Amino acid sequence: MSDYLFEMRRIVKEFSGVRALDGIDLAVRPGECVGLCGENGAGKSTLMKVLSGVYPYGTWEGEILVEGKPLKAYSVRDSEDAGVVIIHQELMLVPQLSVAENIFLGNEIRRFGGLMDYDAMYAKAEALLARLKLKDVNVAAPVMNYGGGYQQLFEIAKALAKNARLLILDEPSSSLTSAETDTLLSIIEDLKREGVACVYISHKLDEVARVCDTVTVIRDGRHILTKPMSEMTTQSIITAMVGRDIENLFPKVEHDIGDVVFEARHVTCWDLANPNRKRVDDISFQVRRGEILGIAGLVGAGRTELVSAIFGAYPGRYEAELVLEGKPIKVRTPEQAIKAGLSLVPEDRKRQGIVPLLGVGDNITLATLSHYAHAGQIDRQAELQTVETEIRRLRVKTASPELPIVGLSGGNQQKAVLTKMLLPQPKLLILDEPTRGVDVGSKYDIYKLMFELAATGVAIIMVSSEMPEVLGVSDRVLVVGEGKLRGDFPSLGLTQEQVLAAAISHAAEGPAHAA
Amino acid sequence: MQAQKVQQLFVRYKILALLIAVAIIWVFFHVKTDAAFITPGNLSNLFRQMAITGMLACGMVFVIIAGEIDLSIGSLLGLLGGVVAILTVNEGWGTWTAIGAVLVLGLLLGAFNGFVVTKMRVPSFIVGLGGMLAFRGIVLYITGSSTIAPAPDDLIALGQGFVPVELSRWIGGVIFVGMVALTVRRRMRRSKLGLQQAALWIDIARLVAIGAFIAGFIRMLNDANGIPIPVMILLGLLAVFTYVSTQTVFGRHIYAVGGNMEATRLSGVNVARVKLVVFALMGLMCAFAGIITVARTGSGSPSAGTGGELDAISACFIGGTSMRGGSGTVYGALIGALVMASLDSGMQLMDVDNSWQMIIKGVILVLAVWVDVLSGSNRNA
Repeated sequence: MSDYLFEMRRIVKEFSGVRALDGIDLAVRPGECVGLCGENGAGKSTLMKVLSGVYPYGTWEGEILVEGKPLKAYSVRDSEDAGVVIIHQELMLVPQLSVAENIFLGNEIRRFGGLMDYDAMYAKAEALLARLKLKDVNVAAPVMNYGGGYQQLFEIAKALAKNARLLILDEPSSSLTSAETDTLLSIIEDLKREGVACVYISHKLDEVARVCDTVTVIRDGRHILTKPMSEMTTQSIITAMVGRDIENLFPKVEHDIGDVVFEARHVTCWDLANPNRKRVDDISFQVRRGEILGIAGLVGAGRTELVSAIFGAYPGRYEAELVLEGKPIKVRTPEQAIKAGLSLVPEDRKRQGIVPLLGVGDNITLATLSHYAHAGQIDRQAELQTVETEIRRLRVKTASPELPIVGLSGGNQQKAVLTKMLLPQPKLLILDEPTRGVDVGSKYDIYKLMFELAATGVAIIMVSSEMPEVLGVSDRVLVVGEGKLRGDFPSLGLTQEQVLAAAISHAAEGPAHAA
Repeated sequence: MQAQKVQQLFVRYKILALLIAVAIIWVFFHVKTDAAFITPGNLSNLFRQMAITGMLACGMVFVIIAGEIDLSIGSLLGLLGGVVAILTVNEGWGTWTAIGAVLVLGLLLGAFNGFVVTKMRVPSFIVGLGGMLAFRGIVLYITGSSTIAPAPDDLIALGQGFVPVELSRWIGGVIFVGMVALTVRRRMRRSKLGLQQAALWIDIARLVAIGAFIAGFIRMLNDANGIPIPVMILLGLLAVFTYVSTQTVFGRHIYAVGGNMEATRLSGVNVARVKLVVFALMGLMCAFAGIITVARTGSGSPSAGTGGELDAISACFIGGTSMRGGSGTVYGALIGALVMASLDSGMQLMDVDNSWQMIIKGVILVLAVWVDVLSGSNRNA
């Protein structure tokens, strides 16, 4: 058994009583690439943080063996010394520093007196990049002069500079074009031949199938299977990833679906950092009155970008044609969107949803304050009346509407943000991850409210990474993958496997439709 | 347990802690100067001295709540003061026409600062630094680096005159009756809506305290010729700015923008416009302060207002404005200005050397903000 380079045995990690990892095993041989697959929230990132020393030894149970000897890493540095280097999804480069300075950041080649030995670093950086078949790079130039594909390879060079024997790649292709991904994969194959081992985490199963020798699937923090890639197919990986029934926690209410009320045509968003890359690529769709449209897809597929472009809030360059109730509308700012009849409950509650120090009531009326004002003066009585009614209606638990919202639980904050965006009485309500970080009770309340709204004729778009939620709440499901529309399914009879298959399927196949 | 309760009380009523600090400072100086500090004459001077910093602080507190900073205001004060002096002395404009023109100019220059910050996206710290130099340069250029005097009598009256004794009594009475009416109205509304009420004795105690304060304030200043006109203007501005910050849509939006700009933008608020107006108001306050500076000294000095931005910013922070934006009060900033003015006045009376005055003021500023951080009231800011 000791032909393994690294071995993780029965890893258990708890977060305040919740088991995020429940006895997971993972083993890698020298020169082997293991694909780690699982749904959003399955525990992949947590597992890798255990392996790479982000969670120090002692904060989790189980053991890690390096060439048969136990590793007790108390920091990232300790595990790097053992040869484990993680490359995160968001690249950790300092854009203003040079390529060589980045490669040796924290690991600089010094001469006496702490001086940087630039000559040695440049020479070694060039050697490392040559190993990665990068020849036209000026190692003295700042990293920001190079695109995302190069930067990903600089990260790998940085790992090799630390004498990495095991590379952990977390969604390495999520910000790469397909040509750049291709280069990356062939370099991984080269590294394997040199004896470097890899753990490859990706939702893109075609990539996993190409570079990985072994696949490990985890689900809900549990180890599901480990098999040679030759025995697996994309389909069998998906089945293993999903493998559970939807619990019946969706208080679904029948509601009538009317005519098309909203239409988005040719929505395209360009990446902020990499202007040649499209985050959303020409997506068009329609929503009907009283319809709940789920938008599914993997993290980073472009769903949030899609809805923020519709709401006029996408920070980069984008194009979109919008039609509401048969009339084209012009929306370039959230202000215009709300006036036109659109509302968005954003994904990141803390950063985009609440104004922490303002009272619960002040947060609730923030989008509609002028409704309670005469000549700019707020009619507190009218404002408080609305606030009190809404707090009761949505069962927001707060001792007083005047207390700062930051003191409330996640679920209650989310209800307040939801109320805020409902008060403008939108014709189309967009919810981006409406139940993220929300307790089960509040989740139930939020679903119930969504069905009530749909019954009154409001069209709802819900972006969600929780597959059971998408299937349990939506009337129809759009699947987005790599910025493109990959499928449009009625939710009746739709399975998680079908959605996941559409999300993962290769771009060339075009949009899928349920038979 | 008891200490914790006291702490909670102070966090809730920051103003109480500040007023106690002012009282301690006053008593300290009173004792140290052989009872020369708390006298009608000295306090009248003290309030007049703080009026200009107070006006700047009124504008600055909005700027800081909105999450920005403006370092150009001392120079802008000098420029606008210079313009009012040139218009009245050299160009022979009528005093009121010149004042009107300078107020509009202040508003426009402030709006220009705001435009550069919001539309051209230059950080406000840099815009302020640039303005600090450029505005001072302009005032040196247009005045030819020399003092412009003498200002006309009706302008000087604005800076050195007093509100008639009888009139200030009436104003005090009206304010008190107004406060009572507001409190009664609020209690009635809140009980109608079934909202939490402050205990009756707290409201009554508050009103009695306010009444005693107004009566004492007017009586004391009337013993020394009456309320100085700059002080009366400052009190008027305090009322207007407090009203704007607590009762208007615009005021709420200032707090929201400073508290979380992204969330506010996604709520459909035009955050750039809010900030632009805040900067414009700051410019207007510079105009007020510049005019009163000329009126007090009777001349337009090219160095007027130097360092004024630091006094105003210190006043805001001592008065509990959060450095990260999103929280603060106008009256807090004015009490902050009062603390700074009291230190100035007391140390001058004690004949403390100028070097020590600066050292002590610097230490007090840092201490005051440290106490604020300790109290935890800004923890979530």
